[in-house]
Amino acid sequence: MTRPAWTQASWLREPLVHFITLGAVVYLALTWGGEPVDPASRVIEVGAEEQAQLALSFENVMGRAPTDAELDARIEQFVRDEVLYREAIRLGLDQGDAVVRQRMVAKMDMSASAAAEAAQPDETVLRAFYDANPDRYSGEVLVTFDQAYFTEEAAAAQALGRGAVEGEPISLPSSVEAANLRDVQSRFGEVFARGIAELQPSDEWQGPIQSGFGWHLVKLSERRADVLEFEALRDRVENDWRSEEIAARKLRAFDLLRSAYRVEIDR
Amino acid sequence: MRLSWNKTVLRGAGIGVFATALTACGGQAALDEAQTGDGTETIELAEFPDRPYWGDTHLHTDNSVDAFGFGVRLGPEAALRFASGEEVTATTGAQAKLSRPLDFLVIADHSDALGATRRLYDAPRWYVNWVIGDETVLRWYDMMHESPEQSQRAIGELITAAANGTVPESLSDPETAAENTKDIWNTHLGLLDRYNQPGTFTALAGYEWTRMPDGNNLHRVVMFRDGSDRTSQTVPFPGLSTSAEQLWDYMAAYEEQTGGQVLAIPHNGNLSNGLMFETTMPDGSPMTAEYAAKRAAAEPVVEVTQIKGDSETHPFLSPNDEMAGFGVSGWELGNLPLTQESTPDMYAGSYARSALLRGLSLEQQLGVNPYSFGMIGSTDSHTSLATGDEDNFWGKHTGNEPANEERALLGQNLGTRVGRFGWHYLAGGYAAAWARGNTRAEIFDAFARREVYATTGPRMSVRIFGGFDFTGQDWDGDWVRAGYTRGVPMGGELTDQGSAPTFLISALKDPDGANLDRVQVVKGWITASGETQERVYDVVWSDMDIRVRSGGRIPAVGDTVNREDATYTNDIGAAELRTTWADPDYRAGQNAFYYVRVLEIPTPRWPLYDAARFGIELSEDAMAEAVAQERAYTSPIWLKSPVTAQ
Repeated sequence: MTRPAWTQASWLREPLVHFITLGAVVYLALTWGGEPVDPASRVIEVGAEEQAQLALSFENVMGRAPTDAELDARIEQFVRDEVLYREAIRLGLDQGDAVVRQRMVAKMDMSASAAAEAAQPDETVLRAFYDANPDRYSGEVLVTFDQAYFTEEAAAAQALGRGAVEGEPISLPSSVEAANLRDVQSRFGEVFARGIAELQPSDEWQGPIQSGFGWHLVKLSERRADVLEFEALRDRVENDWRSEEIAARKLRAFDLLRSAYRVEIDR
Repeated sequence: MRLSWNKTVLRGAGIGVFATALTACGGQAALDEAQTGDGTETIELAEFPDRPYWGDTHLHTDNSVDAFGFGVRLGPEAALRFASGEEVTATTGAQAKLSRPLDFLVIADHSDALGATRRLYDAPRWYVNWVIGDETVLRWYDMMHESPEQSQRAIGELITAAANGTVPESLSDPETAAENTKDIWNTHLGLLDRYNQPGTFTALAGYEWTRMPDGNNLHRVVMFRDGSDRTSQTVPFPGLSTSAEQLWDYMAAYEEQTGGQVLAIPHNGNLSNGLMFETTMPDGSPMTAEYAAKRAAAEPVVEVTQIKGDSETHPFLSPNDEMAGFGVSGWELGNLPLTQESTPDMYAGSYARSALLRGLSLEQQLGVNPYSFGMIGSTDSHTSLATGDEDNFWGKHTGNEPANEERALLGQNLGTRVGRFGWHYLAGGYAAAWARGNTRAEIFDAFARREVYATTGPRMSVRIFGGFDFTGQDWDGDWVRAGYTRGVPMGGELTDQGSAPTFLISALKDPDGANLDRVQVVKGWITASGETQERVYDVVWSDMDIRVRSGGRIPAVGDTVNREDATYTNDIGAAELRTTWADPDYRAGQNAFYYVRVLEIPTPRWPLYDAARFGIELSEDAMAEAVAQERAYTSPIWLKSPVTAQ
């Protein structure tokens, strides 16, 4: 897909820019649209423009233009809703209603994150995200080890002292090759995975370290950081980027609004 | 003077433009074939299945009509992130994370009205009022917006309506539904491909087919082997208005048209009032061989344990099985919405063990066994969170996430609320699949050959190999290789050779869970005269030198659970139990099945963890079932006489 050069500019993809632009658009639209609406007004005008909007919203849902009768019905419905809405505002019914409050909060959040959900980030954005999160993508530790199992700690220690390491039978692999700690945990349990992470590679048997099954002597021949190249992780990076982007946009949008408020909390 | 709605419309339009602009920039990332396909040749495979892969094949998200109505606001993406080990924020606000990620996941949203409640909820009220124009739907719409409690009530009514066949037509209009379903399905498939990572995490496509005549639960999870290159050529098949046979025809057509593969997994036979495993055709006429063969081909696996109870067996059916009846209370009272009570004569058609026996019997009559299925567990969670552990129960649905501290004590929302309480929910089970690697093809094929087993949540590793020449010496060498080369694994079939079959059986405890009490073999067989029998053998247990069998029973393992603070210790039980076992009651020519049941030592159930955490007091009934022996059920191995085997 070829795109005009200006769409590549990084500032154009900056959510904060979008947010401010959006704010400006809304502001201008409201300004050009006339004076701010006064909910207390008892005049309801349904001009050509408004009718077109009603027809359009009908079409968006139904996939066709409304008939005259349907449009009349929509106008009637609109007027009814508007009357009741204004009266409700007049009575202050929007105040102190947890459902109204929650729905409006949710709408604000949604408008900040909607774009991120559909966005297709390009390679540069994702690479930058990948580079910015080294712990997440290059922190995977791979271990290669032999293990011998003992029901009792003392028996394990004794075997280690004798130098004759022959464990008791158990349906666990006696050798594990280049497994990540997640796999080690899934087969030997959390305690063992923590234990082996603390050992240094050596030609000697070490331990005993505990597992969910009992005690183990371990010969840890290798521990290395797995190199996870960007290419192999592209989708995971995109998934992570999207999920963080949504959260970040909500937060940035909120911070922007929040900065205009002074909050006083009595302590 | 301008109108206030003008503001709204313009703001809406502004957001639209904003979103479109952003979508337009940035290149479309191409998914490689490893992710859009079935994963064949993407990773190196072990020679033999070398470890169980853990998964949930039955998870609902906000695309399910009922889950959304119950309040869940997490979608499939959050579900995938959570199952693969990421932290997500649950609908009710708390942070949720699996201490151990799952290896595979099937998101099984209801095919009927896929995404409909979410769309209904998002629709403008005028649309519901004027276009749908149905009083009931409008009332549900208003209830959904009013409060979470009202929303749950609305969905309770909707499920009852679905069970009674009285869903307003406007909600089940086939044309609109089909169009919406296709949209949602295709978006969903793209998401699955993005999260499918061969070797690490498998995202399988699927959905739930939700047939329930008169509220009798005949639900199936439909699960695909393929990626979006094939699955996008089909759409989920509606359940409310179709028959199981039509579903199997749809599945066969999918396989023929795309070259892909698909299977169906029945679940909650316990809520079917005997209809899940009938001895007849659905209309009551004698079952035909053709029907039996279709069912056997389409449904190699049954989900026997999940949040809505356990369907292994009922004490009424298995009076000599002292360990029968796990997860039965509450659920045994009636069908899904409790619109019809259950009577004991229905149980044989509701539970898995009796179904396996019926299968032997039908096979004798028809030459085909319609019920030769393997067994798995899953969650059926409606929270987008695939949790199966007792100490991490996130609720059946959003209304009973842990934020609701009283959840164990409250009546359930389905049906009449008579007799079913929160504490009757189980924490949910998991499916274990013995596979050579973690890809769609490998996991699916394990299901298809029934090399899978069920657990009620714990992740114990269970093996059974059947053959004719296994001995105790096999344990000294590579017994797994021996098992695969000289016998068959769980799910397999042995042809009777005139001598008793022998089995290599091993059960390794959950590395982060409780010790094991005992391993049992459940045998079912049929005599020449057509009589079916069952028997449970204790084949190996902890501390066998102390716990000596007397009067055919072995002494109970004990109980270390502290009821006050919901803790237990592993001072009793064993880390691994293994044995070589030969059938002592073998009779030549009798067709039989053998499956393994593994019991853990007693541990707290989730209501006891809730009681300790939230300081609530359980009722006497709830307290009586606050501690249980979690368990695993393997798929059977069948022994067939040479005549039947042909």
